[in-house]
Amino acid sequence: MKTTLRWLNDFVDLPTSDPAEIGAVFESLGFEVEEMTTVTPSFSGVVVGRVTHIEPHPNADKVRVCTVDVGSEVAEIICGAWNFDVGAVVPVALPGAVLGGDFEIGRREIRGVVSNGMICSEQELEVGDDHAGIMVLNEDYPAAESHLGDDFATQLHLPDTIYDLAVTPNRPDCMSVVGLARELAAYYDIPLRHPEVALDAEEPPSRVDIRIEDPIGCPRFVGREVRNITVGPSPHWIRARLEAAGVRPINNVVDASNYVMMELGHPTHAFDLERLGDQIVVRRATDGEALVTLDGVERELVATDIVVADATQAVAIAGVMGGADTEVHDDSRHVFVEAAMWEPPSVLVTSKRLGLRSEASARFERGMDPNFCHVAADRVAELLVEFAGGTAAARLVDAYPEVVTRRQVPLALDEIPRLLGIEIDRAAAAQLLRRLDFDVKEAEPLLVTVPTRRHDVTRPADLVEEIARLHGFDGIPDRVAVGPGGGLTDAQRRERRLREVMVGAGYHEALTFSFIGESDLDALALPEDDPRREGIRVVNPLRDEEGVMRTTLLPGILKAAAHNIARNMEDVRLFEFGKVFLPAAASIPDQPDMLAFVAAGAQREPSREDAGWALTPRQYEVLDATGLVSLIAEELESPITLRRAVVEPFHPERCAAVGFEGETIGHVGELRPSVADAFGLSGRVAIGEVTAAPMLRAPDAWQFINPSQFPPVIFDLAFEVADETPNADVLEAITTGAGELAEEVWLFDVFRGSGLGEGRKSMAYRLTLRAPERTLTDAEIAPVRARIEAAVADAVGGTLRGGPT
Amino acid sequence: MTNLTRPMDPRSTLRALADEVPARVAAVSDLATLGTLEAELLGRQSEIGKLRKELGRLDPDERRELGAFINEIAAGIRDRIDGRRADLAAAEEAMRLRADRVDVTLPGRVPRRGTHHLVTSTLADIVDIFTSIGYTVATGPEIENDFYNFTALNIPKTHPARLESDTLYVDFEPFGEDRHDDDVEILLRTHTSPMQARYMEAHDPPVYIVVPGRVFRRDDLDPTHSPVFHQVEGLAVDDGITFGDLKGTLDYMAKQFFGPKQTVRFLPDYFPFTEPSAQMHVSCFACDFSGCRVCSHTGWIELAGCGMVHPAVFEAVGYDPEALTGFAFGVGADRFAMVRHGISDLRHFFESDLRVLRQFK
Repeated sequence: MKTTLRWLNDFVDLPTSDPAEIGAVFESLGFEVEEMTTVTPSFSGVVVGRVTHIEPHPNADKVRVCTVDVGSEVAEIICGAWNFDVGAVVPVALPGAVLGGDFEIGRREIRGVVSNGMICSEQELEVGDDHAGIMVLNEDYPAAESHLGDDFATQLHLPDTIYDLAVTPNRPDCMSVVGLARELAAYYDIPLRHPEVALDAEEPPSRVDIRIEDPIGCPRFVGREVRNITVGPSPHWIRARLEAAGVRPINNVVDASNYVMMELGHPTHAFDLERLGDQIVVRRATDGEALVTLDGVERELVATDIVVADATQAVAIAGVMGGADTEVHDDSRHVFVEAAMWEPPSVLVTSKRLGLRSEASARFERGMDPNFCHVAADRVAELLVEFAGGTAAARLVDAYPEVVTRRQVPLALDEIPRLLGIEIDRAAAAQLLRRLDFDVKEAEPLLVTVPTRRHDVTRPADLVEEIARLHGFDGIPDRVAVGPGGGLTDAQRRERRLREVMVGAGYHEALTFSFIGESDLDALALPEDDPRREGIRVVNPLRDEEGVMRTTLLPGILKAAAHNIARNMEDVRLFEFGKVFLPAAASIPDQPDMLAFVAAGAQREPSREDAGWALTPRQYEVLDATGLVSLIAEELESPITLRRAVVEPFHPERCAAVGFEGETIGHVGELRPSVADAFGLSGRVAIGEVTAAPMLRAPDAWQFINPSQFPPVIFDLAFEVADETPNADVLEAITTGAGELAEEVWLFDVFRGSGLGEGRKSMAYRLTLRAPERTLTDAEIAPVRARIEAAVADAVGGTLRGGPT
Repeated sequence: MTNLTRPMDPRSTLRALADEVPARVAAVSDLATLGTLEAELLGRQSEIGKLRKELGRLDPDERRELGAFINEIAAGIRDRIDGRRADLAAAEEAMRLRADRVDVTLPGRVPRRGTHHLVTSTLADIVDIFTSIGYTVATGPEIENDFYNFTALNIPKTHPARLESDTLYVDFEPFGEDRHDDDVEILLRTHTSPMQARYMEAHDPPVYIVVPGRVFRRDDLDPTHSPVFHQVEGLAVDDGITFGDLKGTLDYMAKQFFGPKQTVRFLPDYFPFTEPSAQMHVSCFACDFSGCRVCSHTGWIELAGCGMVHPAVFEAVGYDPEALTGFAFGVGADRFAMVRHGISDLRHFFESDLRVLRQFK
């Protein structure tokens, strides 16, 4: 909402003219100043003059020599414009005046006659577009004639300050100059000049009748007929104010309507009366009903739209836009000015559906004052009488099926300290509310009668807010509200720990959008029946690529990895922790937290062979993925298992299912090369995605184990096994066979080839056996070795290679 | 015979030997040669060794006297050799170590850490400010229904925020008991505020919670808008919570997050689910009120929307608005991070560019 300081002063006499102070007051009242612009004239030294004599130039046909009375003197000025006559009051740039900031006017001889200055056009003064002739002030600025010789800027109400204020949606009453002035009046506790209209109406009365068929959609409809107008430009000052308010001037009829909307807040609409039937009906549209709106577009209406119609057809979409047929045009003579109250949601829905949101619809969708319609209509009529030469018809046409009365809201005095933390006594509270135009009966509770423009005040808390606004938030003492103790839950702490492990392992956290596209699932080469294909669709996505809620984090981080690889990053390790969204038979979808990671490219490590030094790249691969998930498991004390699996989008020979308490919670491995290609990645790419919840469950507190004081027995065992035998199986057999003496068992070598059968491999393990309270003897070790050998033979058909070491 | 052939006094021979020792030892340049020399001078076959063997044949007095003399000479030689050995050992070690020389300014073997995303760490920072004063952390679903996202928060079915131009809706058929009305709509939560209602429904007062999380609006991605962003919601409901508590608590948060010198101000605002409502501004730390780009030349930075919980919200969750009061606030974690670190383009947070992520310390 834009207004100017001088416009506000039409309604209040502000105790300050400091624009910054007024701006600060607006902010303290809840109207954020989005912009504050001081408008100063681009000219100086221009005064008001009156043309007293005109004679032809002796040596030139196209100009005339004018005698201009500028109060203290009379100047002869040569002028090339012909749009005025003797008696015209005009802006005069006397010698020494400066136009456009740097153009100084001097005495100038034109074909033998000296011109003592210049009579100016709107364009020369930069106060309008008109350059066809000079500015004639008699009609637009009637007061100017009594100010001959005065600074012309004063007549233009300059300098002025334009405020662009953010009006919150609960305050449509402040989408007007008078509404904002009312707030300032309340703040300064000064009187407001209430808008009143004294209309000279003439007989015969208007013959238009209104019938409201839908009093819910239209609680009130008021109209005033104005006859015999002449459509033309508005006075300069109206155009100037509209422009300051961000509204483009059109003609005196449209401008009057817009001026009143900005001034008083209530939108109105003018119909060409000669194209409008006598019987106006306000009704819901019928489905498929069409109306060509005044922008020339044919609109198809639906049954929830409210229309203004005459006997034959709809002539306007309520609160949104008028029809082209009944639009006021240059030759219109009689107009009918409508000022109605429309049900806010209807206007909102219709204007949004049609994409026709305007200053008017913005006001109606927030709610206008039903008891103000007649003032708005008559104020427009008044301007038409004054500036379009019309006469107002007697009889205000008014359909108001159920008069809206002022709401009464009780306010218990202790509600103020209860909500604000400060005491305000009864008289002071009542006084603050009265300043805002509320009627207050000082009882207990206070009985507060709320103006019908204040739809936002319905409860005691709303009144407390009004009191707080005027009292000022600064006057409320601060206190820190301390809770009873809480902190993070185990799962929240473990989530942080999980992220910390990823960061510690060299991965950078990425945040990607929660939506993906169908094409992303194709790129992952997911089979048709994969549950990750069953993404929940976004009904109104901004882009097709964001049409599905993600069922996996992989597309997001794979694209993020590709983004970096494309920017020549060599070592790209990313992870994301976030929700995926899955269908569920529940009130809302299943939304588990997932952890996903990607390692693409290579890691460079310094190596120092011989006397040299090199940063040797090592490409990421499946072991980075399995190793990382093992690290997570270790750090979070979450026992996991890894088993070969074949799942898209993984490399079928390099993928492990991550098991946790017998369930698969995700997969890690390498990306299938064709999928990597599809995402713009090349080479091996290590990836993984696991459900976070199992790992976020806290294990029981770990229990301390006393380190044994006795020496271990350490030895190596190598088994020959079939090529496809997984380490996990061999390891499990060894550990089982070793029994409780096994302190540590680890694989240190795998080889295939010489000395081994076709399709066989050797796997060598180092075992550490130890007893807690004694030194192990050879006699004890021998049977353990035998049990291990038997267990491995039994589990995987492996045979011990070589003898004891 | 022996008497006749008795050599000259061995003392003079030994003295002569001892006189030669310093030069001979000094001439040795490696430990092996020094070993040979040591054997030559002190071993069994050496002059000293031989004399010692012969001592047994002397009468006791002479034996004692000569023995002492030999020991004295031998000790002198040994000292000399040991000294030389230490020198040579040190020199040899120094030579070995010199071969190990490494340019210590070569890049080291760095255990490379990754980084937390700035938004995540900012969420954690804000959460920690509140857990340290006794608040609990609650999180909720990102796909919500319109009851919790709107209706329970006093945002009626006809409110413009619900329009498809502003809110993202999803195609999901709810199932089961906990539906709040018949034409429930499923959407991407537009704020973290739904957790106010969910939490109060599930817990008795008092309530002191913060809710960090991801939220969605139907906004195109540009420097200051994103369809995905992050908020922290705060809610304190108890007997006796006032607007003064709201102000004091947010002031505490701002000072903890941005620094103790910052001041805050509160201006009236409007939210359907709070009354009175306010917005909190923090003084611009980049310019000290003189006006700069960070604060759009106002000296203040808007950081939070807040207010006293609207009675209609209490009614929606079954709390008694006459018995309880509370405050609620919402802050943008992305915005907090941008303001604190001078980031002018929100898109940096979602591009996952390592040149950006690596800066997130």
